[in-house]
Amino acid sequence: MPDDLAIRIENLSITYKVSLEAKRTMKNALMRASLKQKERTRIIEAVKGLTLDVPHGSVLGIVGSNGAGKSTLMRCIAGILSPTEGRVVVNGKISTLLALGVGFNPALSGRDNIILGGLASGLNMDEIAEKTDEIAEFAALPDGFIDLPVRTYSSGMYGRLSFAVAVSMTPDILLLDEALSAGDAAFKEKSFERMRQLCAEARTILIVSHALATVTDLCDTAIWMHKGAMVAKGKPEEIVDGYLKFLNVGSLPSNYEDM
Amino acid sequence: MPVNEGFVPKIQVFEPHRASLPPLIPYLKEFWTRRAFASELARFGDKAEYLDSRLGKVWLVLNPLLLGMVYYLVVTIIRPGGSVSGMTRLDHLLIGLFTFYFAQNCVTAGALSITSGGRLILNQAFPRALLPFSSAIQAFQQFLPTIPVYIFVLLAGKWAYPTTIVPGWTWNFLWIPFILICTGLTGFGLALVFATLNVYFRDTTKLLTYITRIWMYLSPVLWLPSSLRGNMKILLWINPLGPVLNATSRVWVSGESLTQPVVLGCILWAVASIVIGGYFFISRERDFAIRL
Repeated sequence: MPDDLAIRIENLSITYKVSLEAKRTMKNALMRASLKQKERTRIIEAVKGLTLDVPHGSVLGIVGSNGAGKSTLMRCIAGILSPTEGRVVVNGKISTLLALGVGFNPALSGRDNIILGGLASGLNMDEIAEKTDEIAEFAALPDGFIDLPVRTYSSGMYGRLSFAVAVSMTPDILLLDEALSAGDAAFKEKSFERMRQLCAEARTILIVSHALATVTDLCDTAIWMHKGAMVAKGKPEEIVDGYLKFLNVGSLPSNYEDM
Repeated sequence: MPVNEGFVPKIQVFEPHRASLPPLIPYLKEFWTRRAFASELARFGDKAEYLDSRLGKVWLVLNPLLLGMVYYLVVTIIRPGGSVSGMTRLDHLLIGLFTFYFAQNCVTAGALSITSGGRLILNQAFPRALLPFSSAIQAFQQFLPTIPVYIFVLLAGKWAYPTTIVPGWTWNFLWIPFILICTGLTGFGLALVFATLNVYFRDTTKLLTYITRIWMYLSPVLWLPSSLRGNMKILLWINPLGPVLNATSRVWVSGESLTQPVVLGCILWAVASIVIGGYFFISRERDFAIRL
């Protein structure tokens, strides 16, 4: 892989089988076996033949409707899901913010959850100790809240703390899934500022967002995914325009078949 | 500032896989470097569990003590008298029960660790075996306070019944760390098996409730290893906890040394549990995110 690339995705497909049973249990499996029946399943093609290069220091936006395969793609890049076909090569350390409060325990204080969230993200204890005050300051929690259980936090406070933990890592590659929706307008501006700072440090950022303004404001490239395939890649404004037209008209661009 | 520098390779390649092991050396290095995550998860899990309880961590001592009393009553009512004195039987029962519950808690909490850690598994990449490992650490932390309880009961028994035989200090007590390590490894290995099964069949933990109950009755906890006759002695060897519980009784209650077959039995079950459980779990853990 060329040194200037942070991520290379080659003909990636992710397919998985989901059970149509309400719950997979030993009891059901034994009953099916005794009746010589097969499990009712459905094949989901979450990502289909996607090829993409992401250079170091770029900010890539990913847009698409629900079920387009955006989150599955992010999980595959992070090494959480395995490809069914093709391969993903990642050059650098990854931090993910795919959901808010991952690793958090609502019964514990904000300070305890910074430790848990930081360890879950891959920081070590020394790094967490060094960054705790910085994280608490970035999350802008009201006085004393850092030592209260996070179940007493508002959703905005919870989101801000989660975001602050994730971006404290300064990873080579940061994967964000709708995380910028955390907090109020002031915090969003602060988050954008942090994103710009990470970009200036030549970090690579991938953002999945339904907030299209986020994509045009922050990203230098964007892709549009639809039903697991990449429909288009280009400048964020063009991709967002095409996607908006699709949302209004409901038809894909004529060059869809070529992608 | 890179994370886990030196362990996770700078370039990672993700490709399709079958039910086979991922490269083991990077996996184990990553597991080792992130061990603090497992220990802190266990520490905070313990803290959160007793946070809202008025008696707090006192329950860690009360629980096993009350349990020991219940089983002692059951055992003395079912089998009163016998050649073994009441205090010796109580000592055997208590330390056997505490050790058995250490292993049982490893298995039952470990079995749930993957299905209950869904958000972590869906959103972070890390060696999944850290979650059952964290449950094993938590089980050990909950076992530790039972040691002073056992010593207290032992000394109180000696004070109340001066004829009770209490082993004085002996170098044989140095076998205790060995016994605990073997118990923990066996419990962790079995937890890996049941945690994997629970991902595929969500009623595994229900079945586990009955398995562990039967397992305890088949283990030398409510009965003494010396009470087995003839072919029944095989129970001490085919049971994964048979050798460690036999060793527990010998060292803790009688202050005796361990025989070579008992030592070998402890090591073999610990190694077999880790190898079989590890293979079963690690070869399937890349599917967990899809199945949760």
